[in-house]
Amino acid sequence: MGATVTRYTTGDEQERAVSQRFRIRWTKEGRTRFVSARDLTSVWERALRRADLPIAYSEGFTPHAKVSFPDALPVGVSSTGEYAELTFAAPIVPARDLGALSTSLPAGMDITTYLEVPDGAPKLARMLRATLWELVWPASDAAELTELLRRRCEELRRADQAEVIRHRPDGDRTIDVRPAVLELATFTRTTVPAPTRTEPTGSDAHTVLRAVLRNDGPTVRPTDLHAALSREDVAPPIATVRVAQGEAVPDGLREALSGEVERLVPDVDAEAA
Amino acid sequence: MLGIAPTVPAPPRLDGAARAEVRRPGPAATAPPSYWDALEPLLPRVKKPAQYVGGEHNQVVAGWGSAETRWLLCYPDTYEVGQPNQGIQILYEILNERPTALAERAYAPWTDLEALQREHGIPTFSLESHRPLWAFDVFGVTLPHELGHTNLLNLLDLGGISHRSDRRTIDDPIVVVGGHAAYNPEPLAPFIDVAVMGDGEQVAIDIDDCVRAFKRDREAGAAGGSGTELTRHDLLVRLAAVEGCYVPAFYEARYHEDGRLKQVVSIQKGAPSLVPKRTIQDLEQWPYPRKQLVPMTETVHERFSVEIFRGCTRGCRFCQAGMITRPVRERRPETIQKLVEEGVKDTGFNEVGLLSLSSADHSAIAPIARDLADTYEGTVTSLSLPSTRVDAFNVTLSNELARNGRRTGLTFAPEAGSDRMRAVINKMVREEDLLQTAEIAFSEGWRHIKLYFMVGLPTERDEDVLAIAELGIKTYELARKHGKANKVTISVGGFVPKPHTPFQWAPQDPPEEIKRKLTMIRQTIKHHSGLKLRTNDPEEGVIEGLLARGDRRVAPAVERAWQLGARFDGWHEMPTLPTWRQAMDETGVELAWFSYRERDEKEALPWDHLDSGLEKSWLWEDWEDARSDKQLDDCRWSACYDCGVCPGLSIEHDTGYSGGFQLPVLPSNLGGSQALPTTPERYAAGD
Repeated sequence: MGATVTRYTTGDEQERAVSQRFRIRWTKEGRTRFVSARDLTSVWERALRRADLPIAYSEGFTPHAKVSFPDALPVGVSSTGEYAELTFAAPIVPARDLGALSTSLPAGMDITTYLEVPDGAPKLARMLRATLWELVWPASDAAELTELLRRRCEELRRADQAEVIRHRPDGDRTIDVRPAVLELATFTRTTVPAPTRTEPTGSDAHTVLRAVLRNDGPTVRPTDLHAALSREDVAPPIATVRVAQGEAVPDGLREALSGEVERLVPDVDAEAA
Repeated sequence: MLGIAPTVPAPPRLDGAARAEVRRPGPAATAPPSYWDALEPLLPRVKKPAQYVGGEHNQVVAGWGSAETRWLLCYPDTYEVGQPNQGIQILYEILNERPTALAERAYAPWTDLEALQREHGIPTFSLESHRPLWAFDVFGVTLPHELGHTNLLNLLDLGGISHRSDRRTIDDPIVVVGGHAAYNPEPLAPFIDVAVMGDGEQVAIDIDDCVRAFKRDREAGAAGGSGTELTRHDLLVRLAAVEGCYVPAFYEARYHEDGRLKQVVSIQKGAPSLVPKRTIQDLEQWPYPRKQLVPMTETVHERFSVEIFRGCTRGCRFCQAGMITRPVRERRPETIQKLVEEGVKDTGFNEVGLLSLSSADHSAIAPIARDLADTYEGTVTSLSLPSTRVDAFNVTLSNELARNGRRTGLTFAPEAGSDRMRAVINKMVREEDLLQTAEIAFSEGWRHIKLYFMVGLPTERDEDVLAIAELGIKTYELARKHGKANKVTISVGGFVPKPHTPFQWAPQDPPEEIKRKLTMIRQTIKHHSGLKLRTNDPEEGVIEGLLARGDRRVAPAVERAWQLGARFDGWHEMPTLPTWRQAMDETGVELAWFSYRERDEKEALPWDHLDSGLEKSWLWEDWEDARSDKQLDDCRWSACYDCGVCPGLSIEHDTGYSGGFQLPVLPSNLGGSQALPTTPERYAAGD
């Protein structure tokens, strides 16, 4: 036999009356950065069930937990700027309960900020119009590389378009990187966030490139940005981090949930841009 | 090019004295290196990297120095396939509960990562700490079928130890295999150290005790400077004395001049001439696995599973599992309910699987299903169970499990197309009952029925093959009567004879013959467009059949096939049969001799010295009954027919049927929404 059976929740009407929505910012670091976007939903649904939180489910024969992620992070990229929207079927005590959820998520996934969403609030995606990315290279030839990238960034900023070819299994695609680029900065830094693939050798100053890219046009990934800057003489970065998402401001990015400005060039540890 | 990451060399493989330091018991040991830092930069270059990172809910990470014995448990296939395996999870929990033991897990890397591992010197590693295989004391491998054999050799070689047991030293792990394919480990004889048949729970503890005592003695000997240093041979001798442990190196195979096997004999004092399987009597004493691993990436079964009973005595003659896992031992309904409730809370899974070889046969399945359905009514938690029954009770049970849910697909396994053929294989269901069951299922709103069949069964004639197509067509006509969108799928595989079954003497159909039979079915159903046919590649059974009934002379072909690149022999993506054919040619292994030949009563079989509890004479009798279409009833609720298992193991069935209570097969005229038989608890009813 082996019955294929699905169940659905009942009492949706009641739930709607008392439902509560939260937007959260969370991290995807360490081992969890290899979890693919399509596996995220079940990882979160199970964590919510372990934390015994009253997550709401969609109606119908194949109900799914009302957890939505605005956009996919490429597998292997680390992030302190992931977001999600959770709809609960009953009120929760956010500090306590979202803390419990953070604990029940796999190590590397942590909830860092939350915001209750009133009815009629704009869609989460509209609050995430830009992303602050960080690309890190090893320390071996940092001075030379930082200088080169600084020049390339300047050229890119001045250009009208910057086409790169994205290789995909279903064929190559040409992408114009330029419209997405809002801000660029290159500097060296002595401390680098995990994951680093290498121990610093010689000098411990790493080359860091930070970029604010628009999210509301055609998708441009950090790999596309690298392709636009590299001209095949800059190796891929050893680490790529999605730092935060929100709205572009002149000196960086206003983070969506906290409203705090993440500066393009952080003061700490950074030499002048 | 600027910004190139300096390559981090992987930690070196330790050998000899350095490896001995890693293997010392307790805090005296040097912790082996972790290969995580070397592995991590490679992961973005491989498919499905999450399968290699570990970090799942309920994984156990222990300090190297905290344990005296260290196990690496392995399912020799991808994580996706192996992670849900219950056997590994049971042993993982039992061993990690022991204060002196540590157990981690390993799976086979896909070919893309294997190539990178070899290039960068990264050995077979554990998921928990990314420690190398060579550092562990025991490499415990489950072989649920024969198609992981080349992967096993590959994992050993990749793991920094020789794939041949006689080349391994005291500072290498002991390679122990279990699982259903361990009931004939002869094709792996030169590669493994120990094979264990039967239930693993108690014997894993016995092996752990044996290895721990050996390591203590070895330390004491080294400290005392007694001069007589303990060797790997000494450890194997001790292991051979553990009940159920078969050490192939201590046995010799002798052959007749015509190539038939004469006997496999013990050549080592203390190695028993007949090695018994291990069996636990009371499942209640082993409520595992409780802390089930929750994957972070897709696997074949993502659910909380509870084994509701072990063993099956339906007596299907083709079914190795049903023969070798006897007798039937049930878990109590209240224990099942408790395990499920606690497990669902702990893991967060939204699906519950009630596992066994035929779960509808639990004597209390109706109250179990009802109580669980009550518990999860109105939630998103779903229930499922595998069952081989083909009767109305199955439909009613499925209705209960689907309470509130959608009645989508039901699967039945008639296994053969004609009543005669079903008598041969002892699958006791008549066509009229099957069709009536299908009628009920469709009338109660089920939309899709899948029917499982085999071709290539002993005594099969073309009319039996055609009967599969006809049964499919009849079922499909019933389906259409109840809804234009209703579907029927018939799924047909080629039969592979297995050791320790009444069909162990039977010839296997060559792939050309299987193909011819499948074509007959396809031709017959081609005008019924809503009736779907699913078949496996007829060639898939070839390697499985050779390894299932091969003897030690097949081992060189296994080795050669692996050397020629055979991996993942069960995967459609990896057509390894041409490689195997080359390996067989080069090593002089004749497929026809091992697979396509009928054996007679007198011929010694490669597993005659391995005692599954079944009397060979009873198996022969059942084989003769099969050939005269004679059926045999289930001994759970009818008289004992002396298969030999219970008296041989001094145990018995442990079921609610013990009082002679009859299985409540519901009448086929069951109405639309009738509930399951109300609970006069069947345990009580049996009294």
